[in-house]
Amino acid sequence: MSIADFIAVLPILVLTIAAVAATVLAAFRTGHAFNAALAACGFVLALASLAPASKAAPRAVTALFSVDAYSLFFTGLLLGAALAVTLLSYGYNAGREGGLAEFYIVLIIGTLGAIVLASSVHFASFFLGLEILGVSLYVLIAYFLGPHANEASIKYLILAGVASSFLVFGMALVYTELGTMEFSRIAMRAGAGAGPLLFAGLAMITVAAGFKLAAAPFHMWAPDVYEGAPAPVGAFLASVSKGAVAVIILRYFLQTGSFAIGPFFTVFTAIAVASMFAGNILALFQKSVKRTLAYSSVAHIGYILVAFLAGGRPGTVAAGYYLAAYFVSIIGAFGAVALLSGKEKELDSITEYRGLAWQRPWLAGAFTAMLLSLAGMPLTAGFLGKLFVAGAGVGEDLWFLVIALVVNSAISVYYYLRIIIALFSPAYGEAAAPLPGLPLAGSVALGTLTLLLVFLGVYPAPLLSLLEKAAAVF
Amino acid sequence: MKEFLWLIPALPLAGSILLAALGRSIPARVSAAIGGGTVGLSALAVLAAGVDFMSAPPPEGFHVQGLWTWVDLGWFRAGAALRLDALSLTMAAVVTFTAFLILVYSAEFMEGDEGYSRFFAYMDLFVAAMLVLVLADDLLFLYLGWEGVGLCSYLLIGFWYREANNGYAARKAFIMTRAGDTAFVIGIILLAASFGTLDITAVMEGAASEWQGGRLAAAAALLVLAGALGKSAQAPLQTWLPDAMAGPTPVSALIHAATMVAAGVYIIARTHVLFALAPWVMDLVAALGAATLLISAFSALVQHDLKRSLAYSTMGQVGFMFLALGVGSWQAAIFHFMTHAFFKALLFLSAGAVIISLGGEHDMRRMGGLRSRLPLAFWTFLAGAASLSALPLVTAGYYSKDLILEGALAGGGTLLWGAGIIGAFVTALYAFRMVFLVFFGEAGADVKRRTGLKAALPLVALSALSLLAGFFGVPSFLEAVLPASQAAPPVGHRWAGILSSLVPLLGAAAACLLYLGKRGIVERLAGSGPGAVLHRFLGSGWGFDWLYERLFVRPYQLAARAGRADIIDAPYAGAVRLAERLNGLLVKTQSGQVRRYAAGMALGALLALGAMVFI
Repeated sequence: MSIADFIAVLPILVLTIAAVAATVLAAFRTGHAFNAALAACGFVLALASLAPASKAAPRAVTALFSVDAYSLFFTGLLLGAALAVTLLSYGYNAGREGGLAEFYIVLIIGTLGAIVLASSVHFASFFLGLEILGVSLYVLIAYFLGPHANEASIKYLILAGVASSFLVFGMALVYTELGTMEFSRIAMRAGAGAGPLLFAGLAMITVAAGFKLAAAPFHMWAPDVYEGAPAPVGAFLASVSKGAVAVIILRYFLQTGSFAIGPFFTVFTAIAVASMFAGNILALFQKSVKRTLAYSSVAHIGYILVAFLAGGRPGTVAAGYYLAAYFVSIIGAFGAVALLSGKEKELDSITEYRGLAWQRPWLAGAFTAMLLSLAGMPLTAGFLGKLFVAGAGVGEDLWFLVIALVVNSAISVYYYLRIIIALFSPAYGEAAAPLPGLPLAGSVALGTLTLLLVFLGVYPAPLLSLLEKAAAVF
Repeated sequence: MKEFLWLIPALPLAGSILLAALGRSIPARVSAAIGGGTVGLSALAVLAAGVDFMSAPPPEGFHVQGLWTWVDLGWFRAGAALRLDALSLTMAAVVTFTAFLILVYSAEFMEGDEGYSRFFAYMDLFVAAMLVLVLADDLLFLYLGWEGVGLCSYLLIGFWYREANNGYAARKAFIMTRAGDTAFVIGIILLAASFGTLDITAVMEGAASEWQGGRLAAAAALLVLAGALGKSAQAPLQTWLPDAMAGPTPVSALIHAATMVAAGVYIIARTHVLFALAPWVMDLVAALGAATLLISAFSALVQHDLKRSLAYSTMGQVGFMFLALGVGSWQAAIFHFMTHAFFKALLFLSAGAVIISLGGEHDMRRMGGLRSRLPLAFWTFLAGAASLSALPLVTAGYYSKDLILEGALAGGGTLLWGAGIIGAFVTALYAFRMVFLVFFGEAGADVKRRTGLKAALPLVALSALSLLAGFFGVPSFLEAVLPASQAAPPVGHRWAGILSSLVPLLGAAAACLLYLGKRGIVERLAGSGPGAVLHRFLGSGWGFDWLYERLFVRPYQLAARAGRADIIDAPYAGAVRLAERLNGLLVKTQSGQVRRYAAGMALGALLALGAMVFI
């Protein structure tokens, strides 16, 4: 590896060093603020290192990584999301039982796994990144031990194990057939007449990806795990963990052109439609806010897959924009829950949110904005995301998928509005218990996310120009 | 200045955001300074842009500042762009200057109100939205302003939200205008679908070249017209305006008199190409304008509430503008918009000064003899009433109204002209009725408070504008954007002109006869049987509320009750039931048991494998 190679993978190196440094330092200083600040600094430095890395791009670093506009964009997005989660966690964790230093170390390591995925072009780094991310999540989900958290973590552990075995087996089958694990070579060799083993391998990889994305019918774990995990970890699961997998899957398909294969297209169409309907219909009568958000994230994966299936430059841009908009909204929504959660219990039942608009007008306003964006109301980022995805779908004549998207957007408004109505309704009798004071770091994060939400919804041009560059890689 | 056009709407918007964020934590003086100051700066920016525009006019007659592209899907694009031409410059200047004066006045008028800073936040937001509406070069961006002013109108009518009636009035305004807005949106979609863009210049050029004499032009014009009717409170969507007077008086002055209600006039002038392609829609515009003029003028004549009387007067004056638009006198309509903005803002503000000095009294029957006790209010109200009546030569209203009547005779025929003449007569009559009832005769309620300096200055400034603005050469300035009326004046138009100049004097004289001194004739008329019925009929705005209640509200409720379980509901109820049923089925899969979840994954894997390997 040359110097330029090292510069190109600087964000990965920075996070690795940050993780090691945090581990060493945590032995001496266990203060909460110190460790949280360390993690935040790590993410900021990694973000800053994108600048030199982009000078070195585009560049293939060993056979495992490709640093290009695509990977740099999504690395930045994942790091930004991790930074927001750190800030939200700080207020949420403060005052909780147990050592808090390790929480941030694991968060850094999980994010490291995610950004490894963002620039992977090889099955080996794909698998490694995914496992680094997954193992961190088992810890994070059960970090504040309790019956719910433990159950969630064990469920995730078992099912993720199943998914990983599918993944490895699928990769092995592809390797058997083609003799390579590099995406670019798979593309070349797959064209020359592929056997059933290749297809079986691809199907198994699809199962694993579907699990990590929480796409139907592999979504059933999502509500239980999101509900049991601490709210900031829910935000991490819904954004960084899911997004990183979406990024590598999209790259895989764009690079290998697998969507052009008929059966493959059919399978993914089925997954997209099933995710949209399952997510939205399951969310309709939910009483728990976190479970509602979990089902909502299942549906959103369905929408994003429409952009994947459209492919090409409009599809890639739409998928990237949608991911960014979805990140902002879902982290913001979980962030609002995190900010409202006391030390003993989280605010989770929708009825507990009644009257919030009168007690905490700004917070309720931010939460409403997030929900409206998830529903796709104009002037929010979510609206433009849906518009671009639908536009990409129309451009490729995917009418079936576009109609499913529109119908599901209509269904989804019902359960987002249910939460919003609760926010603005008068509280029941004595339900107006004094709320915990708002932590500063989390409030700043949520405020920034809200501004970003409106900014992206009104002035998308800067983000789109970045995405155009990212899409030009393929 | 061309590059800083965006500052004009951005300044009030910034003020509004600042006030919303700081809220009650700042003293009232600072709130007023932020609220008024940002609008004042915006007015200066308009002035600078205007000087720039007139000293070096762009060759095409307009200047566009593209701000950003919002959406570009290839086959459709929309963005934010501002357009400066004679029309938008005139509108922006009137909006910012009137708004600034009204905000200065409000600083005193709203003193002691618990929502002081909220008031300025809403008012600034309104000004920003109105400026977006008049400066937008893109119909979607324009629509953002259009919705923004509607929202602010709703918020400000219901400003004193603790009174249930105010909330009702706010909802009525919102829902009535919504009927028009919906049509307007459909119109915008029609234009977007036809031309693939919402850029106003491109749409108008496309319409002019492709829609010659076609039905689509008429459809688009009708839909735009429906939006304009709702916003501008013209028949048949006029009934919300009198109730809108529930808001604070400066709100009535700015939103429900000077600026927002004229948005309909602006949008028709802006899309005049569409209307010119559909002559019968133009006739409809003129007819509706004339009808509103007559309906409202007679209603204004019998109101007891000072503000309601002014509200009906606003409907009538906007009716004059619609009449002008309908007969193709585009310039006259905008000219009248300007003079009306000045004199109607003035009338409302001096009415507000009267109302507040009497401790919140609105009823003219309990006023009287205030001439010597409130001299400032008297003289300024007199200036406004004179301009409203269009007393010849000395008032601004005369010049614009005369231009409209001239155009109506030339382009619309005797019938429309006659309606205009009758309207002008009654206008003068009720204008001076208000003057005599409030300021002459026996003394009514006691004066509790006198007008201070902050309220006095805007009154004087607006009085000067109401009397002198007629000398601004606005019609010729607008020629670059709005075509001059083509119709040749008919024979005898000189006599008609003299008559139309004399009519306001006749009206004022009649008011003198009827309302100055003993009001024997009026009382006898109102006391007689048929007279009382007529009085009630006119007083309720020709019974439109009564009619709509029976024509729309009750049948709708009846149909809704009767049709609760009919065939039309079945698909909707079916969709709901289907969703519930599916939810019930799917919820069963969420058993919470890991083995079931793993089984689900295995099933999915089998399906995927099967599909991949065997298809």
